[in-house]
Amino acid sequence: MADQGPMTEAMYYILLSLLRPGHGYGMMQRVKELSGGRLEMGPGTLYGVLSRMSREGLIVLTGEEGRRKNYAITRTGRDALLAEYRRLQQMVADGAVLEVER
Amino acid sequence: MKHKYRFHPSEYALGENEQFYSDMEAAGWRLVKRGENLSKFEPTEPSQVRYRIEVSAPGFLEEANLSEGQLAVFADCGWEYVDSCGLLHIFRSPAGSGAPEFYTDPRQQAATLKKLKRNCIWGWTPAVFMLLFQWSMGFAMQGERFWPKFTAQFYRSWIEHTAILVACCALLAWGLVLWIHDTWQISRTYYRMKKGQPLDHNPKNRHLIFKAVHRSLLAVAAVFIVLAAGQLFTTVFSDLPETPEGPCLRLRELGWEGEPGSFMGKDSSAVFSRSLLADHWDTVEYLGEENSLAPWIYQDVYRLRDPSMAEALARALMTDATFYGDFQPLEIEGLDAVWTTGGLELVVIKGELVAGITYQSDLDPAAICKALAEKWAQ
Repeated sequence: MADQGPMTEAMYYILLSLLRPGHGYGMMQRVKELSGGRLEMGPGTLYGVLSRMSREGLIVLTGEEGRRKNYAITRTGRDALLAEYRRLQQMVADGAVLEVER
Repeated sequence: MKHKYRFHPSEYALGENEQFYSDMEAAGWRLVKRGENLSKFEPTEPSQVRYRIEVSAPGFLEEANLSEGQLAVFADCGWEYVDSCGLLHIFRSPAGSGAPEFYTDPRQQAATLKKLKRNCIWGWTPAVFMLLFQWSMGFAMQGERFWPKFTAQFYRSWIEHTAILVACCALLAWGLVLWIHDTWQISRTYYRMKKGQPLDHNPKNRHLIFKAVHRSLLAVAAVFIVLAAGQLFTTVFSDLPETPEGPCLRLRELGWEGEPGSFMGKDSSAVFSRSLLADHWDTVEYLGEENSLAPWIYQDVYRLRDPSMAEALARALMTDATFYGDFQPLEIEGLDAVWTTGGLELVVIKGELVAGITYQSDLDPAAICKALAEKWAQ
């Protein structure tokens, strides 16, 4: 995954939310919470991203609660998330020059 | 319970459909079911309700239905699932409920439209392939005669079944206009979303020109279908009358006596039909025992409303002749023009009357023409 280029914001936050396994609606709530209310994800976006990440092996279906499906992040997903975090960290560090020049 | 059915906007106009269902709900009609062309509504208290459409993009041999898990998330977010039709899945939520929009990123939503766009643009190809296959089979069997024969048959159909042909052309034009409009609409929505513009859920542009053309073509088709049905009811199928009321001949008038019989299971008969361009008598007469080689004659006689079409129809009859041959002109007094292959086929014109005749070789073409000339002179 780290070789596939930058993640979308939606993928990044869903993977972050899945550090604690959960179902779709729970993920949406968690994303909102993690982003401080900045990111409100729609159910269409969420399911599109879940399907894609499931195909890519970043997340896995762990079980069902009634109609709801529970997901968890995989080892590959965790590595990809960490790689993206490092990349973003590096980008922020590189951008610190803006503070000096201001 | 009283239900109402309404034609809904095309499946490729997502925003228009959402607006249409919201407007119906505001008018007191709640969506129950969406069909291919019609939507079913039940009465309800008028209220402001948001309708949204999710489009699925299944892979090859995959089901278009949304998964239970997906429906559960939509429900948890406040979206009530209503119905699905093809790739479209309809949800609703009361206005002000706070249910989030399906997509925060239009680029991601654009990906769901790919299959719908492909269906729209390429959906007609099986019909074209069928037509090409049929034409290539015809060409393989008939060689270079295929195309002239095809156009001749088309011209004869134009004369014999004018109204239904106009209706078919109007329906074809309607389908073409619909296809062009749908393709433009879904492609425009797709590319706008790819650029990051969200779907317009309350479109103001109601495509008035398109709707006017669309409805006019449907109205033309409907009028001509009614006209064709009316003319079909005036068609008379009968046994050969003793004295033909139309300008066709009986074998008796050529000096052959005997009771009309049948040949290869087909009885001697006459059909009279009327189109916008002509009256048409189609007769077949056999004399003698079943399957004997007694005299027989087939006639297609037309009385055209416009005599200037006579020569074109005569050419079509020659090209579409059952026993293809080299038609040569024949001079017969009292007739404007006669062409014959020398045996079996004859095409005759006089004024607004045109006849294509196929006859058994015992019959004399000159005698047939003279009898026609006498009959048509009356």
